[in-house]
Amino acid sequence: MGSYRQQPGASKSEVRKDGKRVAGKQVFPPPGSGGSEPTMRPRDLDFIPETVGGKEPKPAGDHIHDRDRTGTIVGKPIPLVDSNAKVTGQAWYGDDVRLPGELIGKILRSPHHYARIKSIDTSRVEALPGVVAVSTGQDAPNRFGVLPVTKDEHAMAVEKVRHVGDLVACVAAVDEATAIEALSLFDIEWEELEPVFDPKKGLEDHDEPIHWRGKYHLARTNVQKRVFQEFGDRSLVNSPHASSHGSWTMLGVHHGFTEPHAVVAHWDPNGRLQLYTPQQVPHYTHRALSTVLDVPMHQINVVRTFVGGGFGGKSDPFPHEMCAAILARKSGRPVRITFDREEVYWINRGRHPSHIDVKMTADTEGRISSFDIDALIDGGGFASFGHVTSYYNGVLATAPYELGSFHYTGARVWTNKPASGAMRGHGAVNTRCAVEVGLDEMAESMNVDPIDLRLANLLPPHSRTISGFRITSNGMREALERVREGSNWDEKFRQMPLGKGIGIGCGFFISGSGLPIHWDPKNFPHATVHIQVDMDGGVTVHTGAADIGQGSTTAVAQVVAEVLALPIEMVHVRSHESDTSPVDLGSYSSRVTFMNANAAIRAAIGIRDQLLKAAWEMLGYHPNVLVLNDRRIYYKHDPAIGVSYLEALHKAQADTGALIARGAYRSPPMGGVHKGAAAGLAPAYSFSAYVAEVDVDVETGLVSCTNVWAAHDCGKALNPLAVKGQIIGSCHMGLGQVLTEKMVYGRTGHLQNANLLEYKIPSVHEMPHVEAIIVESSDPEGPFGAKEAGEGPLLPILPAVVNAVYDAIGVRLRDLPLTPDVVHAGIQKHLKKSGLDDEEQMEPPRLTHGPLQSVLVARGDEHRERDRLRQRSEDTSAYVNGVLFGFDPDRPLSEQVDGWREADEPLPEQLAELGFAGRAWLKKEQRHMEDDA
Amino acid sequence: MLMPPFELHHPTTVAEAVELAASLMEQNEAFDWVAGGTDVLPNYKWRINPKPHVISLAGIEEAHHLSASEIGCMVPLSSLTAANGVHPLLVEAAAKIASSLIRKSATVGGNLCLDTRCFWYNQSEDWRRSIDWCHKADCGTGADCRVIPNQNTLCVATYQGDLAPNFMVLDASVVLIGPEGQRTLPLSEFYELDGMKKNVLQPGEFLLKVELPSDAKKRRGCYQKLRVRESWDFPEAGIAASWLPGDATTLKVASTALESIPRLHDEQVEVHLAEGELDPVGLAVLVQKSVKPVNNTALPPRYRRSMVKTLTKRALRGILD
Amino acid sequence: MVGEEHVSMIPAPEGKRWAATVNGRPFEVLAPSNAVLLDVLRDKVGTLGVKRGCDLGTCGCCTVMIDGVPKLSCLTLAGQVQGAAIITVEGLSDGAHLAPIQTCFATHGGSQCGFCTPGFLIASQALLNENENPTRDEIACAIEGNLCRCTGYQQIIDSIEAAAAIHRGDAEAAAPASDPHPDPHPSGPEEPTMPPGHAK
Repeated sequence: MGSYRQQPGASKSEVRKDGKRVAGKQVFPPPGSGGSEPTMRPRDLDFIPETVGGKEPKPAGDHIHDRDRTGTIVGKPIPLVDSNAKVTGQAWYGDDVRLPGELIGKILRSPHHYARIKSIDTSRVEALPGVVAVSTGQDAPNRFGVLPVTKDEHAMAVEKVRHVGDLVACVAAVDEATAIEALSLFDIEWEELEPVFDPKKGLEDHDEPIHWRGKYHLARTNVQKRVFQEFGDRSLVNSPHASSHGSWTMLGVHHGFTEPHAVVAHWDPNGRLQLYTPQQVPHYTHRALSTVLDVPMHQINVVRTFVGGGFGGKSDPFPHEMCAAILARKSGRPVRITFDREEVYWINRGRHPSHIDVKMTADTEGRISSFDIDALIDGGGFASFGHVTSYYNGVLATAPYELGSFHYTGARVWTNKPASGAMRGHGAVNTRCAVEVGLDEMAESMNVDPIDLRLANLLPPHSRTISGFRITSNGMREALERVREGSNWDEKFRQMPLGKGIGIGCGFFISGSGLPIHWDPKNFPHATVHIQVDMDGGVTVHTGAADIGQGSTTAVAQVVAEVLALPIEMVHVRSHESDTSPVDLGSYSSRVTFMNANAAIRAAIGIRDQLLKAAWEMLGYHPNVLVLNDRRIYYKHDPAIGVSYLEALHKAQADTGALIARGAYRSPPMGGVHKGAAAGLAPAYSFSAYVAEVDVDVETGLVSCTNVWAAHDCGKALNPLAVKGQIIGSCHMGLGQVLTEKMVYGRTGHLQNANLLEYKIPSVHEMPHVEAIIVESSDPEGPFGAKEAGEGPLLPILPAVVNAVYDAIGVRLRDLPLTPDVVHAGIQKHLKKSGLDDEEQMEPPRLTHGPLQSVLVARGDEHRERDRLRQRSEDTSAYVNGVLFGFDPDRPLSEQVDGWREADEPLPEQLAELGFAGRAWLKKEQRHMEDDA
Repeated sequence: MLMPPFELHHPTTVAEAVELAASLMEQNEAFDWVAGGTDVLPNYKWRINPKPHVISLAGIEEAHHLSASEIGCMVPLSSLTAANGVHPLLVEAAAKIASSLIRKSATVGGNLCLDTRCFWYNQSEDWRRSIDWCHKADCGTGADCRVIPNQNTLCVATYQGDLAPNFMVLDASVVLIGPEGQRTLPLSEFYELDGMKKNVLQPGEFLLKVELPSDAKKRRGCYQKLRVRESWDFPEAGIAASWLPGDATTLKVASTALESIPRLHDEQVEVHLAEGELDPVGLAVLVQKSVKPVNNTALPPRYRRSMVKTLTKRALRGILD
Repeated sequence: MVGEEHVSMIPAPEGKRWAATVNGRPFEVLAPSNAVLLDVLRDKVGTLGVKRGCDLGTCGCCTVMIDGVPKLSCLTLAGQVQGAAIITVEGLSDGAHLAPIQTCFATHGGSQCGFCTPGFLIASQALLNENENPTRDEIACAIEGNLCRCTGYQQIIDSIEAAAAIHRGDAEAAAPASDPHPDPHPSGPEEPTMPPGHAK
């Protein structure tokens, strides 16, 4: 598959000015040029890649991995390397692991929202024939949690249950019927406690807070985490030219992966635990198992099965994994636990139900002078990833726009509901929706086109956000321009008849987390990859990256195949077992392609170097002038001189034994020093812009999304087929959240729709046609320029649809999801307010450009050139958020204006005017409770 | 999800089925009928009131009979097609039921005898225990209804079948058969108010087939179904209308998914026509006023009720045009 | 009183002889009277490619062909399909040769995490058996009972269209997706170039 044409025969050498002779440059004619035959010349040189002689300039400049390109496979749409297993039914997921002598485990779950367990009597359970092991919380007193700072979970309830469905005890029996029967035989004495369901009540003091954090507990509230972040010149907020204010209620949504959780545990005769689980992050499970079971990590082997969809919902270490291990230890036999769909909802970890309040202002030049965000998020019974979510809800709104000032208050509260956690677009989705709809509203009040408002306020490539994030590649502008063009926006926006609308939304997301959760990146790398090469040239890559269907295994295989110029069939990725995989943080934060592929490239280069060294000894040419391609190593200036890949390999193996190499990736030091500065830091960021078209039935309120133009900047599409799959899939999931999906807790606090009939994931009929547009900004640090494409593409669909609904009917809706009853109620309210009797009399909004429009267009045009130069590294001057407002990027901003703030705690005088979630700052931590006395 | 234990029986004739039912009743053994299973089996897996015996109707040849005027209870919904000579209104309604996969198994009889639904009821045993049960499956606790609290005499679970209102406006009758013999009655009299009683089927009796009068094929009909997704979802409200084109006196309107039973709105039609010409909006308002949905399906009752007007209007316009 | 607080799951009914043809081979296993086809296929016959997603008929992961008709095995009583010819995902390929529908799901991105794939494959193969020239709408109706959370269905429909073309003889089997995205700027093993000077 190599793309170099090897032309035998040496070319003419040249004499340099200093008299030395150098080898002449080999000219590689473009393929299909047919030598001197004029009729065979290609018609369009633009379609020929530069590798093989094409003349296309690189729009984003040179890339550090350019020299590692062999034209083998990167950038080509290829099937996932594990697709054969999937299409033949041989992909083994959690419940498909069947070990000899297995027992079936079942979990007893709490029937109460909040209760203290006074006693558990298991004697009747133990007596049931066929029951082999029984376990309760007493067997596993150690706490665990995905984040080291918030370990608040037990394998099973130790003292209290915190939501209906919380784990109480478990049994392992010879078959499922016996295990289910056994669950009815536990005798438990409960003391019911007063539950809390409304997150707003979480800020109040309670007799019995759901968790107790000791001296760090905030008064007696259920606040798990509060955040305050303020940056910029707050004086800009006063006397705005335009503003928007919206209060949002977003219900919780669930990942809805098709594979329910399942786990198989077995202790081998050497006392080692083998745990088979569909995990996105096997390493955290590994750590948590070690803590809970009290055995060293090397006594545990976590085997990741195929994962039937994760989306963040399989990234926590789960209590049922502990239960299976405990039952297997007690029984001495393999134990398999598989969830019913209802249990999947009870373990949850879905997107936080949120109350979000967003205010924003713009000045007379159409610059965004402030974002004020207040987010109260409902964490349910446990912390999970919530500590991070609390930050993400604010700080991931600091780009892609240049802001005059930024103010965020957030609080995450515990309630007696299944725990919320990380879900695709972690923490950023809800706020992003509120912000983008706010911009739409502000554009309307300024009589400007919302796309032009955005284009005139974008941060350029290679800049710094107001909160200190380092932005490198940035394809935001191109994404916006391409969806504008593709959707024919200028002909449609504010011009369509009642019931038809079009809307815009943008997105910004991290590509990997700059700070690994469990260690300091200065000490350990984020990702490590090992490669070994077989006698016949086959390559085995060991990585801990968890393929959850997004194709990370394929991406890793691709970059190795690319560097070594091998067919991808010769590259085998082993990523299933912690015994053989290097430690890896797994699949979350959209980190895998960026970090693991980077590590894999380095490891592959290590192999290549050894091969080149062997060839050096065989050919006498220094590796610097040797090329590895087409399973051959040859002299760069005369490809006829060379050895085969296998010859070099065997030479290297004869010299050093096995051919192995390792590669690692760590992100560069980044970010500010304020508290929370690490949240949202990433070595690269993805950008996206979507335009959505909707039909609204004004009588019923039914919204159907008909078309989406989805542009996503993924840096470089290693596999365009997979990138498009991610974009379209993200659209589907986001569309579910904005139109139909919600976790419904009724008046009694019970989750009423814990099944796939009532939890309404869009079917094929609800899916619009999605035009997936890949934008490639070639990230300077990404593997071959790549960035994430798995989560970021979800963000823009929500605001695009909400804005399109407004364009269609002229009603702003801020309660998600926009189920027909919500839209209908909004329309009826609007009719009443406008004194209309009939839906058909409503008038959709129209736009007449105001004077600001031309200012914005001119600025956008100017910035296009600015961005182009910076993207291509032709302009390497510093750029920080604030330059648009006239600041000098080379001097600290705080020196340039008096009111400049960079704060992680409110000033005393601010306390009175904080938003709802911000009121958590009125409470004192236990350790400061007596300070006033 | 494990299926609770039961004994499955496979009679091959109507007589055998009736005899089996009679003998089980004699032995005081409870049983359920199963046709396609798409309604019964989820409830069994949730352990809602499973019985020790289940009689499958699948082996009864007579139950598979399908013609323009007679549709056996075992006819799968996917067979209700124009090619099989089925009335276009039924074809339209059937195509909107659940998903194409479910329609391959689900049957006409099963859809007509659909159990009433409620989000306090269609849940697992563990879930229902966490709310201390409900009136519809009180498990001996005498639990209150969770929808209309402080009472345990009326079940307001919602009937969410799609075919019933359509058969009603085509003036269909159902043939029931049981140990006491066979009887035929209009479908509109088949249902009986209360979410637990549901219909007039006596112990041991089952719905064998639906019969359509000969003039049914001249009727022009329209079915309007309100649902969130175009697959899987039960109707949140459904209105069927039909008439012999041009003759307002033959107009029939029926609703489903609004109460514990589907309902024929002859009374409202009569009142409306007594006042003058047929006016879709005017009649729609009357139909709307006659139904009282409660909060036990996916969408709130207030919204569903206000949609009755829109759906009725659209259904009427659909047959008038 | 209606129902019981705890429905006892034991004793499980006695296993009875259950016979059917699965993927062209006759099978005879012991299955209790209340057995659901999905459980029999997974636990007794061993066709683990039939997936359990929701167990209630709302995800389509357990779809199998029963006498040529795609049905949800989670809502089918094994006793009602005695003697039937059942085809699961394992039975789609001809020995080592993948069926066009399988190849196309791989080459056109119809499968991401793969859990729903067996159900989709059966539903779409059933469609292609009846209709070799389906429109995108007809394809959508055929797969409306299958839930996919990864792909957003679009590439699944693409895959089925491509497989239909192979069935009709319009396209060669396993034609890879034509490159819809020509690589704009690759480059080869040239002299090392400096990375952009922005990594501050």
